[in-house]
Amino acid sequence: MRQAWIQSKEALRLRMTQPQQVAPGEPEAEMPPYMESFLAHLRVLVGVPFEYLVPDARLLPDESIRFFYLDRSFADRVVDGAIAVGKIGTREQAHHQAHEPAVRQQLDITERIVRSIQMRLGSFADLKSANDANRLTNGAADVITGFLLRSAAVSGWPQMDVRAHSTDLPEHLDPSSAAAQNAQLRTLRLERLSPSVMIALFQGIPALVTIEEPHHGVQFGVRPVFAGFQIDERKADGEQILVGSDSKPLFAPVRAANQRVLSIASLRRALFKAQNADSTMPQQTGGASLAVEVLNPPWRQRFEGTVDHAGDGGGRQSSGFLSSLSVAVRVSQPETRVALEAAIQNGAKP
Amino acid sequence: MSDTPPPPGQMYLYDNITPPLLDGSYRFNVSTDTTIDGTDQNLPGATNYFNVEGPRFTLTPSLVAGVFPPRNGHGSFQENVPHIALSRRTLPWERALDPSGLIGTPTVKQGDPPRPVGPAPWLALLLFEEGEYTILQNQKLEDVVPSAVYKRLGSPPNINCDAVKTTHSVLSGIMPSLDELTVLSHVRQVNKDDRELSAGSSDGWFSVVMSNRVAAPNSKCCACLVSLEERSDLVPKDPPADFIPILVEPGPIVLHPLAATNFSAQSRTPIVFPKEPFPFQITVSLVLLYSWKFECIGPGSFRDLMQGLDVAMFGTVADPGHPPVADTGHIKIALGDRAGVDETVLYRSPLAPFQLTRDPLGPYHSADQCRRVAPETGAEDITYACAFEVGRLLAAADARLAQELMRWRREGYRQSARADTFSAVSETLPLVQAIDVHTPAIPVVAAGATTSMLTGRGPAADRFGVDYLNQVIGLQPAALQDAWQLSSAAEAAAILGADAGTLGATVTAPAATPRAATTIDAVAANSSALTNLNAARDRIIANTAQKVGTP
Repeated sequence: MRQAWIQSKEALRLRMTQPQQVAPGEPEAEMPPYMESFLAHLRVLVGVPFEYLVPDARLLPDESIRFFYLDRSFADRVVDGAIAVGKIGTREQAHHQAHEPAVRQQLDITERIVRSIQMRLGSFADLKSANDANRLTNGAADVITGFLLRSAAVSGWPQMDVRAHSTDLPEHLDPSSAAAQNAQLRTLRLERLSPSVMIALFQGIPALVTIEEPHHGVQFGVRPVFAGFQIDERKADGEQILVGSDSKPLFAPVRAANQRVLSIASLRRALFKAQNADSTMPQQTGGASLAVEVLNPPWRQRFEGTVDHAGDGGGRQSSGFLSSLSVAVRVSQPETRVALEAAIQNGAKP
Repeated sequence: MSDTPPPPGQMYLYDNITPPLLDGSYRFNVSTDTTIDGTDQNLPGATNYFNVEGPRFTLTPSLVAGVFPPRNGHGSFQENVPHIALSRRTLPWERALDPSGLIGTPTVKQGDPPRPVGPAPWLALLLFEEGEYTILQNQKLEDVVPSAVYKRLGSPPNINCDAVKTTHSVLSGIMPSLDELTVLSHVRQVNKDDRELSAGSSDGWFSVVMSNRVAAPNSKCCACLVSLEERSDLVPKDPPADFIPILVEPGPIVLHPLAATNFSAQSRTPIVFPKEPFPFQITVSLVLLYSWKFECIGPGSFRDLMQGLDVAMFGTVADPGHPPVADTGHIKIALGDRAGVDETVLYRSPLAPFQLTRDPLGPYHSADQCRRVAPETGAEDITYACAFEVGRLLAAADARLAQELMRWRREGYRQSARADTFSAVSETLPLVQAIDVHTPAIPVVAAGATTSMLTGRGPAADRFGVDYLNQVIGLQPAALQDAWQLSSAAEAAAILGADAGTLGATVTAPAATPRAATTIDAVAANSSALTNLNAARDRIIANTAQKVGTP
């Protein structure tokens, strides 16, 4: 009688002492594409119910933003659980045990194309082969950070521009410049979880996160104040005139008959007076010079690390903060100095 | 004005761009004065007519390059000035608003800026709220405008147009004055590479008409591009009065403690006059060229929302202690365990306020394997058990994934079985080269087998253990002879009923016919054998051809 190659007792002993029954270096049975894509999505918590992310609603109050590090062990366990489907006996267990290092390494690479898959930028096979080819330049499995934003802005302003940078770039920030591009962290996920909640995941630890108002084009705008509106004085090229780091507001009166109607003539009179005082403003000859003054470039909100803002009074740090991503001091100046140029440049982005 | 487009990402703004000729009917006279030798000999003159035509009572929608707020848009537009971009740069100035000067010259007071340069446009963008307007379609022009205006327009017959109807009081509140109209329109030149506004085959030039009204929060609005040609009855010479709140300095007597908290040194209380309580019900209609609706809903501006955000690391709660969050980021949750006992356990969201090291002890095969007990408190941490179960449930909900997992495992088993087979083969066959899953197995085994055939193999091993049988004492003829006192071993063997060979007698291999070593040349020279081979090959080809049915 032929002896079994391995007996149950012996197999058990081998599994305990030498989990890799398939020797390392032997070609792994590659994961089927759908399975790889599914598990990669799980890695960035796509599909994980919101209650698991925010176990208590008070952890994410209304109108709040919460920065976080992603717990990679949690994501690994989700993947383990997914692979556990159909795992009936020791044979499946041994197989999983043997393949787990390879699966984890592959998913560390593949999780970076989840966003491209979600955006339908190409087929999984194409994206994966391009990504696998770049795996060395793209660096090792990195820390994943991100934020959860619960705000009325999420539903009111779909298609906000969210970017994370590894260095704290100063304002007059042109996202298409080489410096900004080099410092930009890969966005692994940017998704609305519910009408008012957005999640973003970045590869690496950001020093600066910006959220920009979507660019619907060049807009004209006014800010409501008591008994009228307010605009910011601008130079002839559209740049804001600054007093210190603050913009210089100008009151725009309204009509008595209808208080949502700007009194253009009075506004023009005020601009004329301001121009007499400050010759960098355009002369009020007609429509163009008025248009420059009521420009309203998209707002860019900056969330910066505390490193550069230690002198600002510390901003608002969270008590549980333990390491270098912190957060999140609001920009001290009330205005981001986005020039007309930048506004239009940004406006050209899709 | 230059024809050079601005650099990418920038734009040029112009107050206005007027066409050489306004729209209308023109007559031109040609007369030539000729003098020959001091005497006038004028050539006969000629008179001709031509029209300069352009949009007047209707506007092709293709001329509209873009609008803001977007058509049918919902959003927080209460701080945006609506505007419309037209893809013809001269359009707002192609007609005269008031050619006969019925409106008059606006007053310029001391200290006022000089009047804006250029003619007033004949277009205005008026913003109406729900209930303030009615849009009428396909109206006769004479029904839309008053008869005096109709006459001044030249009484064009059979003109149908759209109209917007509103009350006089509403309209007078929003209608810009003559000079306001002038500054509400401008021309914009953008770089053609700039994707913004450059729809279709645009030349990069746009005329823009802005509204002077800002949408109120939570209102439904309709922006109407109207024609004001000859509407000197509606366009005022001077703008109406500004809203000036009457301010009352707070007196020394403070009536209410609540009010006191709101007063600071400079604070003043406005007394806001109510809007006209009895609007005059006089209706007016205007020629409507283009209109779009949008809804102004939402919570204030993007900027206010962003500036008002509560910024913190995850795990920070507005009211500390509700819920209590541990330093490690865990919170307590209630758990009914499988024994039916209610327990309080710890759970931490995957979103942690600090960087965590990755658990190197993987993989886990069941949720129970991931349960942990915190040594300090004795409380159970079910975070990773939860994660495991979530993954399991998500995967189980996906039928295709289950199939793919099966496929993946089957592939893995196949690999594993292959490796096992190889090791068994290697054990059995003394192969020259070791085989593993990397090497092409069949050539290696074939080469090994060929080598064995050529070099000869040692005696075949007793693979089935027959030799052991020979050692059974009752089956040995010598032992039998000895025990039974037989005369010869052959007799004992005969009693055992076996022929020689089965019972250990060594069978000698038949002598192989020795052959002389030959060479390829010698084989090739044997023409009769080659002919046989050729015939055999032809036979096989013919047979095959017949079987597969090829002629």
